[in-house]
Amino acid sequence: MLNVIDNSGAALAECIQVLKMKRAASIGDRIVIVVQKQRSFGPETASSSKSTVSSANKVRRGDIRHAVVVRTAKQVQRKDGSVVKFGDNACVLISKAGEPIGTRLSGVVGRELRERGWGKVLSLAPMHL
Amino acid sequence: MRTYDDTFSGQKIYPGKGKLFVRSDSKIFRFQNGKTESLFLQRKNPRRIAWTVLCRRQRRKGISEEAAKTRRRRAVKSQRAVVGASLDVIKERRSQRPEARTAARAQAIKEGKEKKAASDSVKKAEKAKNAGKAASGQSTGRVINKQGAKGASAKPRPTTK
Repeated sequence: MLNVIDNSGAALAECIQVLKMKRAASIGDRIVIVVQKQRSFGPETASSSKSTVSSANKVRRGDIRHAVVVRTAKQVQRKDGSVVKFGDNACVLISKAGEPIGTRLSGVVGRELRERGWGKVLSLAPMHL
Repeated sequence: MRTYDDTFSGQKIYPGKGKLFVRSDSKIFRFQNGKTESLFLQRKNPRRIAWTVLCRRQRRKGISEEAAKTRRRRAVKSQRAVVGASLDVIKERRSQRPEARTAARAQAIKEGKEKKAASDSVKKAEKAKNAGKAASGQSTGRVINKQGAKGASAKPRPTTK
């Protein structure tokens, strides 16, 4: 289970496949996820009926999407000898072509994304560590 | 070389050491070793753990020693007698009020000037006397040969004709 930190509409995602490898995903890995929980945006959507979710949401619960991992609770060893670990696991949803679905990110992302060719995700992020 | 401080214990973290932890509220914590990381994750208060910098600072540990060291290094000034002035004289001069001191100095300068003036006048008078003598000597009309004028002894008078 990973948090989704973009504004695509998903809040919680479950990883069902790590692409191109047979091991646990790390920062910058592309995975296939199922959207398990949706995010409700804004106060007006909350005040309206609870069953309908905001139309701003680009994904729905149960959707199968691709995503890229941006934070892991498992520590990552860097080339310069430093070790980084995050408080949670998080991902950003992407299209099949590799473009991010959301337009904004909240929270920090790992710097490993640059080496792995996820410059677009990095440019959306407020901070990378 | 950039070093960081351990967020829990305050130790220095050199490159290649330690671990960076980013909490989900995107606050950054740096740990020097597993000990501090573990204590942090156990939500211990570093102020209550004796060996951390925070605790030591709070209890003023290791500060008094440093202060003592610096005091020892300071240069000590003392008065002692110098060539022309004994210790008593120096102390007396020092204890005088500044006005008195300046007045005394002015007095001394005045005295010096007067002395000089007096000696000058004496010298002048002597010079004048000498000049007068020389002048009078010339007016007598006594014949003095050149060598005699230069200070040579007079020729002995011839005893026979």
